[in-house]
Amino acid sequence: MSDRRRINGPVGATIPPASEDGASREVAGSRGGRSRPPNAIRKMYLKTGVTPSASGSAYLEIETSGRSGVSGLKLSCTVHGPRSLPRSSPFSPHIILSTHVKYAPFATRQRRGYLRDPSERDLGTHLEAALRGAIIADRWPKSGVDIIVSIIEGDQDRETSKTQGDESWDLMNALSGCITVASAALADAGIDCIDTVAGGVAALVSDKGDGNPSIVIDPIPSEHDRILAACCIAYLPTRDEVTNLWFKGDLPASDAELYTKLVEKGIQASAKANRVLVECLGETVG
Amino acid sequence: MAAPSMSFPRAVFAKLSPHPYLLRTLAPQPPSDAAASRTNGRAPHEARPVHIHTSSLSHAHGSALVRTGDTTVICGVRGEVLPVANIPQYRPQATQQQQQDDSHERADERGGLGRGELKDYDLLVPNIELATGCAPQFLPGVPPTTLAQTLSTRVYSLLHSCRVVDPKSLRIWYTPPTAVGDEMDTEEQQRQQEEADDGDDGPQLAAYWVLYIDLLFVSLDGNPFDAAWTAVMAALRDTKLPAVRWDPDRQAAVLQSYSQPTTTTTATAAAAVPGQDKNSVKTTPLPVAGLPVACTAAMFPEKEHGGESMAASAEATVGNRHWILLDPDRSEETLCSETITMVVDCSEGGETRIKSIEKQGGVVIGRELIRGFAGVAEKRWKEVRDAMQ
Repeated sequence: MSDRRRINGPVGATIPPASEDGASREVAGSRGGRSRPPNAIRKMYLKTGVTPSASGSAYLEIETSGRSGVSGLKLSCTVHGPRSLPRSSPFSPHIILSTHVKYAPFATRQRRGYLRDPSERDLGTHLEAALRGAIIADRWPKSGVDIIVSIIEGDQDRETSKTQGDESWDLMNALSGCITVASAALADAGIDCIDTVAGGVAALVSDKGDGNPSIVIDPIPSEHDRILAACCIAYLPTRDEVTNLWFKGDLPASDAELYTKLVEKGIQASAKANRVLVECLGETVG
Repeated sequence: MAAPSMSFPRAVFAKLSPHPYLLRTLAPQPPSDAAASRTNGRAPHEARPVHIHTSSLSHAHGSALVRTGDTTVICGVRGEVLPVANIPQYRPQATQQQQQDDSHERADERGGLGRGELKDYDLLVPNIELATGCAPQFLPGVPPTTLAQTLSTRVYSLLHSCRVVDPKSLRIWYTPPTAVGDEMDTEEQQRQQEEADDGDDGPQLAAYWVLYIDLLFVSLDGNPFDAAWTAVMAALRDTKLPAVRWDPDRQAAVLQSYSQPTTTTTATAAAAVPGQDKNSVKTTPLPVAGLPVACTAAMFPEKEHGGESMAASAEATVGNRHWILLDPDRSEETLCSETITMVVDCSEGGETRIKSIEKQGGVVIGRELIRGFAGVAEKRWKEVRDAMQ
């Protein structure tokens, strides 16, 4: 059943143009390797107050890695509320967060539909978990707040679709950006938080040159040969607390050290993003 | 009734009783010598300046960000390929003739076949997304609001009625290789002959480009249609479709890169963009005809509707004055019920052509006012044109 509230286009299926003979071109092309040191995050630009009619809003842009066909992350977040819950809803002693993460149709390599797909809902729940730990929730009983993140441009390489196999690593980067931008928007809306929360990603990667896998922060999937595992951390620096931890990939069970190291690096990435966040909020206030 | 205490700050007053407040600023009382202006500080016929930024998205074939005041909209245009085999109601001979016969192109212009192609096969797909929290009443998780549906439909019909995109530039042709062999046996030659009789020898129409035009409002502060339409036009003018070659074996369009020798190309001559690296794909700018610009105004009546306001009824003796507020913002839109949208295009030889007039919600704007409004729209056209360059 087609969506009658939107303009659906032609009945027959449309296909994006295929590239010449699949993967051959990509490998020859831009496999440049990581251009930053392993413990440096990309430059980011954060600005609050992009949507004046919302209670709070923020815009985050993470720079591209400087090659053509690779896009940086562009996120816009609006916060509406706190507002009273509808009469029909049951009593709640604390504020109820509802988070929506939506990719714009033009954000990724494949055109996205307008309906939220499971991966977007998944991002939404992770984001809610990350923020719930930061908000002082019992200051607003019987009220709700809406946090909406639009991913205007996803962090995806146009060419490495087949070599990596799946897009799950991109989701991690998107989530860390969502956490940072939502935290800025919450502060802009004047909702009390115990601290600013920022997201950070660390990954265990193996490059072509050396056999040993190494840990890098803020990874770009296209810059590495293979990503073995990654974790996305939401971290409150002054309290030294992690509000959300999302780990993916496989690590040898024998090496517990590696796991701890990965989380530590994630915290390090998050702390770096937090510095940008605090600086941006300081500018707004000052 | 006690005289209203003016000890309120202006913002509070504007929020409590917006209609009398706007009325007072538009028609200052004799003792004050303030010039007539709106609450947002603009003159009635003053529109917000337009800022346009194009090509900021890397996954779309064309994109634009348009900002007028606090209304911000992002538009991304993406082309996908629709093989003719996937069109159930496809009529091959009509298009075949058009390609061979130039005289038929005249028929296109008169709303004949060419226009039917765009509309019958649904090659333009504009959609507007408001549910991004761009204003408090537009939250996600619900189906598109009536406003979003109306805006999408208006953009859709205007795209077709203005004929901004030429269907010819959306066709993807396939020229079968001509196999000429002397030592062919007669049977095969005969078969070749038959194929030639079918008209399969020349270039065949293999597929169409479908343009998905997606608009996303980041922030909404009144006048969404003008901003959306400006974004659509800016993004279409920015669109560069990749040069593709039809591969009959894969039944798909394949991108051509610079390193590849070009044999068959798309309909228009591909203009190579200098300064691109060798591996990138060759692109062709999409030809866009004209530059229609939408210009919206709201009519602000002196008398508030329903007569529930004491202030308005007290002043009813002054007369039924009204103001045309160009490019209304959100607070003005809530006060005005009558709006007019005129789409003009002055790009054809400097002559103003009115592409569409839409008016709804009242009886004040008559023939004279609409005629006068064309001049206002013309001025707006120049502003938008300057912003696009």
